[in-house]
Amino acid sequence: MLPVAVAVIALVYPKVFRLPYPQHVGVLVCMNALMAVAWNITGGYTGQVALGNTVFFGIGAYTSSLLLRDFGVNPWIGMLAGMALSMIAAVVLGYTTFRLRGYYFTIACIALAEIVSAIVVNTRRLGGAVGVTVPIREASLINFQFHGTNKAPYYYTILTFLAIALLVVYKMERSKLGYYFRAIREDEDGARALGVNAAQYKLIAFMMSALFTSMAGTFYAQYVMFIDPMSVLAQPVSVSMCLMAVLGGLGTLWGPVLGALTLIGISEATRVTLGGTGQAVDLMLYGLLVMLFAVFQPKGLMGMFGRLKARKE
Amino acid sequence: MRIGSVKRSLPILLTIMLVIASMVLGACTPKTPEEGDQTGKEVDTVKIGILYPLSGVAANVGLDSKYGIELAVEIINGSYDFNLPLAKEEGLPGLGGAKVELVVADHQGLPEKGQSEVERLVTQEGVVGIVGCYLSSVTQTASQAAERLGIPFVNGSSSAIGLTERGLKWFFRTGPHDAHIVGNLFDLMDDVRAEKGKEILTIGLIHENTLQGADMGDMAQKLADERGYEVVCRFPFPPGSSDVTSEVQSLKAKDPDVIIMQAQTPDAVLFMKTMKQFDYNPDAVLGYGAGFVDPKFFEVFGKNAEGVITKAAWALDIAEKREDTKRIADMFREKFNQEMTENSSRNFTAFLTLAEAINRAGSTDPEAIRQALIETDIPGDQLIMPWEGIKFDSSGQNIYASGVCTQVFNGIHRTVWPFPFASEEIVWPRPNWSELE
Repeated sequence: MLPVAVAVIALVYPKVFRLPYPQHVGVLVCMNALMAVAWNITGGYTGQVALGNTVFFGIGAYTSSLLLRDFGVNPWIGMLAGMALSMIAAVVLGYTTFRLRGYYFTIACIALAEIVSAIVVNTRRLGGAVGVTVPIREASLINFQFHGTNKAPYYYTILTFLAIALLVVYKMERSKLGYYFRAIREDEDGARALGVNAAQYKLIAFMMSALFTSMAGTFYAQYVMFIDPMSVLAQPVSVSMCLMAVLGGLGTLWGPVLGALTLIGISEATRVTLGGTGQAVDLMLYGLLVMLFAVFQPKGLMGMFGRLKARKE
Repeated sequence: MRIGSVKRSLPILLTIMLVIASMVLGACTPKTPEEGDQTGKEVDTVKIGILYPLSGVAANVGLDSKYGIELAVEIINGSYDFNLPLAKEEGLPGLGGAKVELVVADHQGLPEKGQSEVERLVTQEGVVGIVGCYLSSVTQTASQAAERLGIPFVNGSSSAIGLTERGLKWFFRTGPHDAHIVGNLFDLMDDVRAEKGKEILTIGLIHENTLQGADMGDMAQKLADERGYEVVCRFPFPPGSSDVTSEVQSLKAKDPDVIIMQAQTPDAVLFMKTMKQFDYNPDAVLGYGAGFVDPKFFEVFGKNAEGVITKAAWALDIAEKREDTKRIADMFREKFNQEMTENSSRNFTAFLTLAEAINRAGSTDPEAIRQALIETDIPGDQLIMPWEGIKFDSSGQNIYASGVCTQVFNGIHRTVWPFPFASEEIVWPRPNWSELE
């Protein structure tokens, strides 16, 4: 029942809210949910804390935008190219660090993100610190551009992406792959003793994660029509993905979606109502709410619902 | 976790979620229902949206800009004896004395937020014009959103050249861009040649090998070629260098009359120290970039900073030259307990320009306001900026926008150029290192 209700609400949302701002919030929620779902594959199911996923977001955004700007390549093809490049980057990083335990992987992720950001800032061909403006094409699904103030087409596009990601994760959860991932998270040595090639499966998880994050990156570029290192290759992007997944519930299908909904809701609502004061009250309130959730619900929002259900039964 | 703690925490969490939900709903509902075309109708208030980074890295500058605009609103809505547009009358006389109302929004320095905030301000708050955004990247996306909605967007302090090269119809920039700023250094040299009779033939360029640095270097090279200066050497350096001995030795060998240098604080200090060490004395050091205005530069370099020339969009001592500007700067200090800066003054001016156009349009119809902006012609004596006036070219750039050059006297920046605004006579050549001991 619940998934059907969620799907219906998600589908009619832009029909009910017709102003650009509420529709924009809907787009933001779906886009961040996609990134959080992607992060959850490595961070939640496999237990490898990746804090550099902004690099895949950036690769997705830059690849499609530069291909479109310099070679007139259709953004959908650009998106596929970005996804391929992101997977290559994930392999390079994962192959070298997944043999190591613990924090090395996390540190390597942060380092990679910083390196790529520095390269882009200093390369004029890539737009440097100024960024890249996505050329305007005729508005159509083929061109992956929709102009005007009706954001419903963008909303449905990103909702579809999110649905695909959720479907893949749903299938993964119930397959051999999902069990391997969780086995690695719970006890890597144990998993290896039973014949699971831990390094290889961690790599697969990381590649899946990179793939979906990159997809979100291309979407962002086509949506905002302007990218620069500050907005797509920055540490806060990596952290927010992680925060949403953790808050919603690690290693659960709906956790990251719930986390994105809550965090985007809080941050947009507090910014709009209190941000104009210039006293940063909105950010303090945001931080306070996150802390409250962390203290009272260390297992995330999904944990809370899980217990509610358990009590009923 | 035990059941007991669940019982305790649930009500708290549910309350929190209710509060959030109500805030989200509040944020998503329009505050002023659009009543179609308001041309010719009497309105009590005219809403103008302002969009700045009020949190994040650039929060200080954003707040400073917001203060400038708040002062402008006070002057527009009240009655003041200033020779400025809209100062004497209360409100906007063109709209029956309607008061100006600010709707302030925070973009946190993020281009995506700038875009969505413009949409929210226009469709939900009912603003008729927007002023912002300081950061060029945010101005880029925010002005594009305004263009789509057909709402005038006036910018006072984003300096990326490309902003006015996009062919936008609804974008206007009152302030100078990067080419003006480098151009001003050459204007200064031209004037020093022409009016002070000094000989300037050769230039040495020193800049970071970053984007801003390289752009500045290219612009300077081009201007030098056009205006008959010879660039005898050019040294791009990586920011955060630990040794520049070879660069300075080679500089000394080529001995250009003027050095134009773009650097952040540590590199600026290192270059100047090394130049002192080798006792290399160019006639002038023209600084560009944060390094030369940072108070740290003076702390570290002390007396040796004497005579360094830098560019700025505005300087406090401009106020000394004009009675009204001084009174406005005093008002600013009294109200906000800090000095007016190049950011507060530039955004003050951008806002006043938009308000003046709305008043002249006599309507809150966006197209009428746009037409009025195109026809803007504010004379220089009605501005707090050292400009000849405000008048937009077809790209929306104010053709009179420029900056000032300041020189360091006893550790304080004083305006020395343009000469009519100078509060001190320019010292050219600068004192030799040996004289500064």
